[in-house]
Amino acid sequence: MESRDSVIAALQSLPAQVREVDFRQRGYHLEVWLEPERLRPFAELLRGGDFYLSFVSGLHVKPALEVSYQFANHAFACRILARVIVDAEHSLPTISDIFQGADWHERETKDFFGVVFRGHPNLKPLLLAEDMEDLKPLLKKDERLKDRAAVTRAEADVAEKTPAPAGGEEGA
Amino acid sequence: MSTTPEFREHRYVLNMGPQHPSTHGVLRVILEMEGEYVMDPQPVLGYGHRMHEKMAESRSWPGFLPNAARMDYLASLIYNHGYVGVVERLAGIEATPRAEYIRVITSELNRLQSHLLWLGVLVLDLGAFTPIMYTFEDREKILDILEDVTGSRLTYCYMRVGGVVRDIDDKFIERTREYIKWQRSRMPMYDKLVTGNIIFRKRVEGIGEFTPDLARRYGLTGPVLRGTGVAYDIRRAEPYSVYPDFDFEIPTETGGDCLAAYLVRVREIEQSLRILEQALDRLPEGPFLAKVPKKIKLPAGDATYAVESPRGELVYHLTADGSEVPYRMKIRVPSFSNLSILPEVCRGMLLSDLCACMGSLDLVIPEIDR
Repeated sequence: MESRDSVIAALQSLPAQVREVDFRQRGYHLEVWLEPERLRPFAELLRGGDFYLSFVSGLHVKPALEVSYQFANHAFACRILARVIVDAEHSLPTISDIFQGADWHERETKDFFGVVFRGHPNLKPLLLAEDMEDLKPLLKKDERLKDRAAVTRAEADVAEKTPAPAGGEEGA
Repeated sequence: MSTTPEFREHRYVLNMGPQHPSTHGVLRVILEMEGEYVMDPQPVLGYGHRMHEKMAESRSWPGFLPNAARMDYLASLIYNHGYVGVVERLAGIEATPRAEYIRVITSELNRLQSHLLWLGVLVLDLGAFTPIMYTFEDREKILDILEDVTGSRLTYCYMRVGGVVRDIDDKFIERTREYIKWQRSRMPMYDKLVTGNIIFRKRVEGIGEFTPDLARRYGLTGPVLRGTGVAYDIRRAEPYSVYPDFDFEIPTETGGDCLAAYLVRVREIEQSLRILEQALDRLPEGPFLAKVPKKIKLPAGDATYAVESPRGELVYHLTADGSEVPYRMKIRVPSFSNLSILPEVCRGMLLSDLCACMGSLDLVIPEIDR
């Protein structure tokens, strides 16, 4: 994969829902929605395309917790934000055997949100103390928990079809 | 990818930290040793964990500005920059041109003092006491300059959404120009004292095997990545602020060892000086703070803002729900991913080489723990 277009084509054939977004507004180029069972093929695809994992993070919204993965590439400007909704058991497959850096990021997400990453070799508390396993500090209390729609950008300003300018020139 | 160390009779466990001079912070590394060789180093994090991401959810977004400075105490202004950047991006606010220049000038001064501290303590970790005395003399000059304009010496809270809190004056510019001249005059000395020192070179040359593929697997960024020959710097790859205006190089080395990371950082000092010179020459007139409403509600949605910290890629990912309080703030810190390579890279290394390796990664522990 040498360009953003080839990345989009490869992701669409996974299949995954890919959308090009305005970098100046969002700070990333592609937004991807994935089914949990596509997460590992997705990671393998990006691993083969020489991407690196920037971070794994969670977002607690109604109806279900969402885990996001951000990837970027050393060779060309293509920052990808992939969102996956956890399954009924609050779990997702691990990608720490594909991207070894995910090991700690997944442990952190387990600490803060209680997401269980299936197949992770060592899912022990990383930043929290060992006896704080049930704390899950970033889960929202019911009164502060919002719907997914409440934290979704209004569609009007999403330039879905406008081709984004080449990576090098677009600053903040 | 080991879990619990296997017990073997000739192996013993050595506990390094959480209070150890060469971890530069409260980091603990459990080392499974065989003689003087490290067979399995496992970092233990969380001693300085303050849950900054939770604090961000419980205060209005300007209230998080002081927190931004307290994660990486050596790059406070760069953390400031990333934070105001993500809020501006989400709210659709633009800082004034003069403010963007001031941000770059102060950020680069901040980067310089971080690199100077690193240069001193890396060599100190390897047993040479003298260079830190010289680098701290240089660093002191930067802290004095920044103190005048920001009011503090370490945990700066200088940037605001739309600009900066105070303008820089002629005295600042004059002192910074003097500093640039001074720093350039010092580099030949460091070259002789450290870079050309045979003992230093024996301690770092060929130590650590960093490769571009390893960097991708772990998300390693910053000077250690550039030491493997990959010219990846967020200031160039995803330009932010006014960095596209300046002519500077992204230094790379191909060694992939601690020496390569060292050489990249030393060469970056000169590049930061170049950016400073150009920014001072072209500093536009005008307001240093844009007119922004007192209370800004962040529109629903999310935004990412990535900046290059002295240690690598720093990313703020902010999700907002239309209120004045961030709904979720994720902070991706470079040292977190950089440290996670330790078990793989340092396996089979001499204990003294592990210190060289950790010194080359330039870890800041409060940033990892957040």
